[in-house]
Amino acid sequence: MSRSLPAQAGAPAYARYRAPVLEWALWMALVGAVYSQTGYFDTEIPEYAFGATGWPRALCLATAAGATGQLLTRLAALRRGEPAVASPANAPVPATPPTLWEQAKRLAIFLFPLLYLYAVPTLGFYLATPVFVLGLLLILDVRSPGALLGVTGVVCALVLLLFTRFFYVALPVGQPPFYDINNAIIVIARMGL
Amino acid sequence: MEPFIAGTLNLFGDPQALMIFVLGLVGGMLFGAIPGVNMLTLGAVLLPFTISMQPEHAVMLFSVIYCAGVFGGAITAILFNIPGAPENAPTCFDGYPMTQRGESGKAIGAAVSCSAIGGVASAVLMMTATGAIAGWAVRAFGPQEIFALIFFGLAVSASIGASTLWKGWLSVFAGLLIATIGTDPVGGVPRFNEGSLLGYEYSSYYLSAGIHFIPMILGFFAVSEVIAQAMNIARGTRERPKAGLEFPSVAEFLAVRWTMLRSIVIGFFAGILPGIGATLAAFLGYSQAQRWSRNRARFGKGELEGVVASETANNAATGAAMIPLLALGLPGGALTAMIMGIFQIHGMEPGPLIFMTSGDLVWITFAAMFWANLFIVFLGWVQTKTVVHILRVPFRWLAPGILLLAIVGAYALRNLFIDVWVMFLAGIVGYVMRTTGYSAAGVVLGLILGKLGESAFSKSMQLMDYDMLGFFERPIAGVLIALGIGAIVVSIVNEIRGAPAPKALMD
Repeated sequence: MSRSLPAQAGAPAYARYRAPVLEWALWMALVGAVYSQTGYFDTEIPEYAFGATGWPRALCLATAAGATGQLLTRLAALRRGEPAVASPANAPVPATPPTLWEQAKRLAIFLFPLLYLYAVPTLGFYLATPVFVLGLLLILDVRSPGALLGVTGVVCALVLLLFTRFFYVALPVGQPPFYDINNAIIVIARMGL
Repeated sequence: MEPFIAGTLNLFGDPQALMIFVLGLVGGMLFGAIPGVNMLTLGAVLLPFTISMQPEHAVMLFSVIYCAGVFGGAITAILFNIPGAPENAPTCFDGYPMTQRGESGKAIGAAVSCSAIGGVASAVLMMTATGAIAGWAVRAFGPQEIFALIFFGLAVSASIGASTLWKGWLSVFAGLLIATIGTDPVGGVPRFNEGSLLGYEYSSYYLSAGIHFIPMILGFFAVSEVIAQAMNIARGTRERPKAGLEFPSVAEFLAVRWTMLRSIVIGFFAGILPGIGATLAAFLGYSQAQRWSRNRARFGKGELEGVVASETANNAATGAAMIPLLALGLPGGALTAMIMGIFQIHGMEPGPLIFMTSGDLVWITFAAMFWANLFIVFLGWVQTKTVVHILRVPFRWLAPGILLLAIVGAYALRNLFIDVWVMFLAGIVGYVMRTTGYSAAGVVLGLILGKLGESAFSKSMQLMDYDMLGFFERPIAGVLIALGIGAIVVSIVNEIRGAPAPKALMD
């Protein structure tokens, strides 16, 4: 609860209302976008009066009502002088603001997996995965060469053993020239079967 | 009693049956406990091999996997905040905070014992009353009652895991809206598969099939947990959970006896209803335990009663889910649908006659489920003493493995890489939801019950000639709708007055 209080202390009065109003606006924009898309399947269904759009449109209205209820409740609480509802205590506030390097690391936590997903259809799962595991360990501040190589080796070996050798999961093998390398790894993993 | 003894003798007297029983038990528990794979993965892998099995062995194997898998999913929910299956989601709320407090052994011990108690009670009820209960459920539960039960379940469970009632409801609505993507359940009209947004035209076959809940669950729980822990590592604020091996005491079990009993009843009756099953049972069990508990303010912070409630209820639903399957041929979920597939593979048809035509099959299955639930106590105890040590491995070493298992789990579902993208996007959204007080569990609940709810609602409307008051002409539906409305009104009034109870879940 204490998280939002210091920020509010010196802020102008209207600033306290900004977050709830922005959150409400975000929900309304989302609801508006979904509602607008229902027009593309607004076809009648024989013997069902509400059609294909009835249920999603009702949900849109319920969501809008929920977002508005939330806004009104929070505005009323702010008027009574209660502190704004804080974010959950999942993320304690650090004593000092993050450095550029720390900010880059936080950004990498979100972007690196997406880069991996983008690369897999081209590089193939078997080539991209060791690089992904190694990169993720580095982002998570693992610096010992033994741990980097050991964890990468064990994780990749277990995935190969479990999903490629035993369960025959058809994981992506990428595009040429990586296609042949991925297939060679699969052949090695299934050797002796 | 005689058929049960005969079923037990068939099970333990036949080495092949015994081997299959042990395989199902260990496999179900392991697959339930590994993040990223679950009992459905094991079922899908084993299904082709059932062609060469005797039908009673194949059905028995899947029944045992079902019992063991529902329990196994609690392990990862408690240790890593990653439920092995949707029905283990409420176990995270108190199980994971207990792990953070160094009480992982106690939480897993409670999950083991309560899963066994719920499962055994359910198996006994299943054996004694399958025919009668199935007949009653079919007569008494039409689309109106199913919709009313879903409405009631959502009404009392919506705020679970959220910081406020409104955020809980908005999370559930988001899940219900996601569930509308795909074909509509009445006319088969494709929805949200094509259109135009901000001048960008889109058209997608993937969206025509709908968003599957497995990648969403993996994203909301596994990926978002890894992101949250990684952010804590980056900030230097992560506290390593302590591995605790202490089991709950007898006094602690006695203190939650009424919660167990309530969850058995809730789990059993929710389990009977096709499609609703263990997930709603676990949420209902948890929300009712919180409602009636003296320690309700401690729920969400590591209250043993929360783990007891959800794990008893979800395992109590396993035996009950077999009732409509065996007596009526109605599978209630994905794994029971696989069992239905086994019947079809072997040219059999479940229904009231199966008790006469395939008595051996029915009773070896009943006996196996009963004994599997009892063996869960022993194997679960061994697992408690071993699996808890995973917590001694640094999370930064485990994170890549958890993510890879989730990636393969999402991909292997339909061999679609776009499912992996959906999972990661759900993970990022899930992380944002956590930090803003919304409930990932609420979205998942809405997503799972959305299609079923819409289907039941549309059938109800057609049957009642679009008269909403028609729900109140049927006693069960009327009571459930009235209770649901009452729960919503009371919670809104509490929210406006600023009652702190729901917020305690996230503070």
